[in-house]
Amino acid sequence: MRVVTGKTMSRYQKYILPAGIFGFLLLGSAVMCRVDPVALIAGIPRGIDLFGQMVPPAWKTFPELVGPALETVEIAFVGTALGASLSFVIGLVAAHNMNSNRILRNTVRTILSVERALPDLIVVLFFVAIVGLGPFPGVMALAASSIGMLGKLFADAIEEVDPKPVESMVAIGATKAQVIRYAVLPQVIPSLIGNTLYRFEVNIRMSIFLGVVGAGGIGYNLVTSLRLLEYQEAMAAILTILILVTLCEKLSERVRRIIVGQELLR
Amino acid sequence: MSGRRTNYRGDLRYKRWYKTYFFSGSLFILIFGWSVAHLKISPRLFWEGIPHFFNLVTEMLPPNWGVFSRGKILWSILETLSMAFAGTSLGAIGALFFGLLGAGNISPSKVIREATKRLLAAERSVPPLIYILLLVVVIGLGPFAGMIVIAMGTVGMLGKLFAEAIENIDPKPLESLESTGATRIQMVRYAVLPQVIPSLIANTLYRFDINLRVALFLGVVGGGGIGVNLQMAMSLFRYADALAITVVTLLIIWVAERISDYFRRRVIGQEILH
Repeated sequence: MRVVTGKTMSRYQKYILPAGIFGFLLLGSAVMCRVDPVALIAGIPRGIDLFGQMVPPAWKTFPELVGPALETVEIAFVGTALGASLSFVIGLVAAHNMNSNRILRNTVRTILSVERALPDLIVVLFFVAIVGLGPFPGVMALAASSIGMLGKLFADAIEEVDPKPVESMVAIGATKAQVIRYAVLPQVIPSLIGNTLYRFEVNIRMSIFLGVVGAGGIGYNLVTSLRLLEYQEAMAAILTILILVTLCEKLSERVRRIIVGQELLR
Repeated sequence: MSGRRTNYRGDLRYKRWYKTYFFSGSLFILIFGWSVAHLKISPRLFWEGIPHFFNLVTEMLPPNWGVFSRGKILWSILETLSMAFAGTSLGAIGALFFGLLGAGNISPSKVIREATKRLLAAERSVPPLIYILLLVVVIGLGPFAGMIVIAMGTVGMLGKLFAEAIENIDPKPLESLESTGATRIQMVRYAVLPQVIPSLIANTLYRFDINLRVALFLGVVGGGGIGVNLQMAMSLFRYADALAITVVTLLIIWVAERISDYFRRRVIGQEILH
């Protein structure tokens, strides 16, 4: 490798400018972030100390955490289910093989892409502002933020169905509902459920965060115990959250593996 | 159509249909109904929310562009962008390190490889919310804590993707370098990097898009940046301010995404560091 030394300079020359710009931006953003190695080093003993205060977790608070944990799962579940149902209807409207009205289709598609561009956080904050605190705004926020992604995925899945069953059903004079039920659904259901489950995993994490902004669930317990400096209780909440997230992911992965590649509702 | 024709009992297909869907369908409805009852959700709440919605709309309009006159808000947006940029860059560098350790064809030993994979998987399963809440206690509020959390999340996801990308390279250059007695660093530099760099950059840019949103979110829970201002405006019922901040933030995020999109498209299929 040493032989090419003479060429090395010209070899790297074209990377100098991009690397320089990147380095400059990185430096600038590090300054903006107030990167502070001193705080980081000072934080190490503090982190160890914090961990010492957190163990052993307050096992006795676990019974109190079951209710909020359940609430978190329920918010995610209902929010995802509502969002997915609405997304299916929207998907039908936005799919060109189901809806021949081009203007309506494009309007819906545009709304969906705007919704997708909105960070979920903003949707959540707005819903909390509209409906107030409690689990209901959480459910609505999750449903609304799921629609942007699921609506598009569903529409794409519906557009990609094999057109033959659809055409033959139309040819024998089936109603629109019959076409959807017998030609579209059997082909798209596995992918719809798979995508919905994926969104459920996202929503579980969102739902934990919802507790922090006051929409109910286990996130609230975690934040309050941290604010009250009850670190052992906080550790119990953290462990509960980790168990919750892992269980939901395992479950949704298993269901997904069962349904992928199957023809359902034939 | 078969569904209609098989509506008489005794048909095998109907029986199977009935069993699977009846069971899973009623399970779903049961869980759903129970959750709705437990969360005390009713359509009434929805109807009651509608006037609130119109109230909110009238209060938000017109957006109060005056919030930007102080300049501090724009500074906060820049802070959010910086958190995402610095966090993604540092995270990607860390991810390259862990990706090399976790890739079967270049990792120094099997034990290290397995340990790295486990570590990354554990790291991914912890929501960023928990990291930020704990980090705020340890190093205090502000964008620095947010940047670290973003870097950690980036390492978890990109580390896995990088390891997979490295495992999927063409093994021939690697083998020929090995047969000439190249060191591991030389192998990485001349056989691995030229093959994987475009995909690494594309994945990093994709993660940057995600991290812009994470940075916004982290502000609400103490990570600094525009998220703080947005949350403040909302909780003080200054909806016109909130709308102005939202619009400008979205615009800036959109521009940042377009830029990252441009670079992603340029980088794919190129040979870099050859």
